[in-house]
Amino acid sequence: MKYAYFPGCSQESTAEEYNRSLQAVARRLEAMELLEIPDWNCCGATPAAAIVNPMLPHSLAARNLSIAKEMGMDQIVAPCAACYKNMRKASHDLNHHAELRAQAKGALANRELDRVPEVRHPLDVIVNDVGLDNIPVEKPLRGLKIACYYGCLLTRPAGGFDDPEYPTAMDELMERLGAEPVFWPYKTKCCGGGIYMFHENVSFNMSADVLVYAKAAGANAVAVACPFCQLLLDLYQDKLAQIRDTTFDMPIIFFTQLMGLAMGLDRADLGLEKLVVSPFPLLARTVEAEGEEEEKAKARPAKLKKWGEA
Amino acid sequence: MFEYEAIRPRYETSPEVEKIVQAVSVCYQCGTCSGSCPVAPAGGMDYTPRTIMRLIQAGMEDQVLSSQTVWTCAACYSCAVRCPRGIDITDVMVRLRNLALIRGFPAETEVARKGRIYNVDFMRIVRRFGRIYELELVLRYHLKTNPFNLLGMAPVGLKMFLKHKLRLLPDPVDDRAEVKGMFYRLESDQARKGRKE
Repeated sequence: MKYAYFPGCSQESTAEEYNRSLQAVARRLEAMELLEIPDWNCCGATPAAAIVNPMLPHSLAARNLSIAKEMGMDQIVAPCAACYKNMRKASHDLNHHAELRAQAKGALANRELDRVPEVRHPLDVIVNDVGLDNIPVEKPLRGLKIACYYGCLLTRPAGGFDDPEYPTAMDELMERLGAEPVFWPYKTKCCGGGIYMFHENVSFNMSADVLVYAKAAGANAVAVACPFCQLLLDLYQDKLAQIRDTTFDMPIIFFTQLMGLAMGLDRADLGLEKLVVSPFPLLARTVEAEGEEEEKAKARPAKLKKWGEA
Repeated sequence: MFEYEAIRPRYETSPEVEKIVQAVSVCYQCGTCSGSCPVAPAGGMDYTPRTIMRLIQAGMEDQVLSSQTVWTCAACYSCAVRCPRGIDITDVMVRLRNLALIRGFPAETEVARKGRIYNVDFMRIVRRFGRIYELELVLRYHLKTNPFNLLGMAPVGLKMFLKHKLRLLPDPVDDRAEVKGMFYRLESDQARKGRKE
């Protein structure tokens, strides 16, 4: 199926590897064809709603929705969690509230806003449209224990494709890819991305908690679907470790990069080298050295844990 | 008789204020919002979300609109999803932020002042280019708050530069006039509302 593609600002700078890997995955999955929306504009992220006019986020999104409609598309794919949330909300509101639609039309002179396209996240499309069984897994990600970090805006506000408190779509996907999703309570906790510029300490404390719990759950990597979660957990990981007086050494990998790995796509298309905490030592230890690892595990009797030991 | 005077709602009414007061009127102070909030326990708020709800019900406009909380809400919707009264608390916070700006409330704490600078500059850049330009945002923000912090940002900036994660030049939309026009119309609409208030 064809989808209009809204990359969003961060896909061309801080999260370029997310964009690249998603496009590579989509090229391989024939059921998902992405056509970029020409001349798209910023969704307004978090600040838009408070500045200028409460109608600003709806109007910014409405321009993109209207261009996608002109392309003849009825569904848009937006990979950034903040863009996804803003545009999903706008699309829903514009289709359901005539008053809001009229206001957005007024702000956007000459734009057609009747029955605007629906906005979806690539995770939703991959799990629900393409289907897990249709993902060609060539190199299962054995040995990877993954904490699936959805972040706050992927499943909230309620009414999206998954449970707002305990979503499972990414976990199912990781299982299908041969990795082992861990059980942890921080799946949808906020990383503090929206306030990190002006309230650094607080947002670092929030992000550090995410990594502390991921580590405690036994994960050796975190899968993310939001450019900002990735930036905070990856780029600032040494600072976060300092705050909690520990080491994490936890690669923060976009779920699309993990899909590309399992599907055996060309490494150059996945942008793994752009992650600050390098995933290569971990991959060499697990996915690539899978045979040796199993032999070692067999040779070494399982160590008994003491009571209370994590 | 006079002791009730203190809790009589004192908001100057406007449709925008009425929307907020109406939404919050059903709050029964269970505290689920404060318990779900990731920012409050990390020390980011002066009033917890529950307290803000109560202050709105009591009509204590100055305290609400000059609070740090309205600026440091991370808009993660944890409270909105859990509220047993179905209040979209995140939406209320955003509306309060907007109101604080329109009415020109002074930001009392340092963090609130910085939050305001960041938010306003972010949208200024989007107004000009139609997309965000991170480098300018970071430079503007630090020059307006504490230029010495730029030195502290240097290692992070270098790391991003080496990983090609830093956009050096803005990447504007082609139809900048349309985006600017949209901003202009919304701004004049807001100014009209402001005059009415």
